[in-house]
Amino acid sequence: MTTQWSNDTPIYLQLYQQVIERILDGVINEGEALPSVRTVAAEYRLNPLTISKAYQMLQEEGIVEKQRGKGLFIRPGTRDEVLQRERQNFLQQEWPAIVRRIERLALTPDKLLNGEQERSV
Amino acid sequence: MSALIKIENLNKSYGKQPVLKDINLTVQPGQILGLVGPNGAGKTTCLQALLGLLQYSGNIQVMQHDPSQKRHLMLNDVAYIADVAVLPMWLKVNQAIDYMADVHPNFNRDQALTFLAKTNIGLDKRVKALSKGMVTQLHLALILAVDAKVLVLDEPTLGLDIFTRRQFYNHLLEDFYDESKCIIVTTHQIEEIENILTDVAFIQNGEIVLHESVDHIRNRFKILAVANQEMEQAKSLKPLFSNSMMGITTMLFDNADEQSLEALGNLTSPSLADVFVGVMSREELA
Repeated sequence: MTTQWSNDTPIYLQLYQQVIERILDGVINEGEALPSVRTVAAEYRLNPLTISKAYQMLQEEGIVEKQRGKGLFIRPGTRDEVLQRERQNFLQQEWPAIVRRIERLALTPDKLLNGEQERSV
Repeated sequence: MSALIKIENLNKSYGKQPVLKDINLTVQPGQILGLVGPNGAGKTTCLQALLGLLQYSGNIQVMQHDPSQKRHLMLNDVAYIADVAVLPMWLKVNQAIDYMADVHPNFNRDQALTFLAKTNIGLDKRVKALSKGMVTQLHLALILAVDAKVLVLDEPTLGLDIFTRRQFYNHLLEDFYDESKCIIVTTHQIEEIENILTDVAFIQNGEIVLHESVDHIRNRFKILAVANQEMEQAKSLKPLFSNSMMGITTMLFDNADEQSLEALGNLTSPSLADVFVGVMSREELA
């Protein structure tokens, strides 16, 4: 499988974000193991240091924890915390930009929610 | 941590024609260095000097051995895959393994067999009967089994289909590479390996024109997309390369002030291929 990486963000951050999204989507569950650095490096054909960097970030933020000799596991209880944090990020960073775009296009939340925009265009 | 490969002031000429000019390169454990350059730039000559396959002037140390003096010692820890098929056509796979077990002190037969079992290469097949991709895999099996510390790859995936190319790098990362080893690889397909490399050296007309870690390159070079009204100002910041299309000009900058660039347009990071094209075309103009 090939993942398309964007040039604009370092790959380790994209990988980090991918893990976060998969936790939120319930694709990876709490208590489950992350694949080894080597496995991910081979599968995505990335330098192993890139994967280590992403994993280290997840570890520093307490999203995963190390079990000696067994690797990294999603820490129980982490999903709610990640959800809270990602909501905060969305509301502070992405939402204001979306609001500006809605205003620029002269749309209103009501129109959008009711599917009005299709008729008015 | 001592360097696995150290090349100092390497020079090589064929007759009066200089092909390598004052090459300096160091490779540390854990590094994967891409040696990238146009045809005839000197990539293969550089690798051959490193392997002690030709006479040169300068100083080369591979695992603390001089390849021109102590080639037999160096080869205990060094492996090489060339862009040309070098395994004899009449050799059977199990004969290749027997041969390696006889001549190489570090050869681990089980490891070679384990790897080959993952492929569809039969042990009683002759090299002649193997596809190009299978020969490369057989090569890889022999190399994994000598537990080389330094792996030199010269266009290892040339002529292979995309599936086999991916499989090759997949095996390389899963079964060969670890932090105590280093890899030098030359390739034209830079897009394919740019995320694997830790370091890159661009070579042109026998000279190293850029040698940096990949992280560093991503910080150093930027691509700016500018509209016509900002063009003159952007040009004054001396782009290496520019390309106009539908009212927007894309420019590549080396070490320019990020804040001044951001004010002029949309700033992104280039791919290694973008940097390569930019650096090479600058040298051509000079």
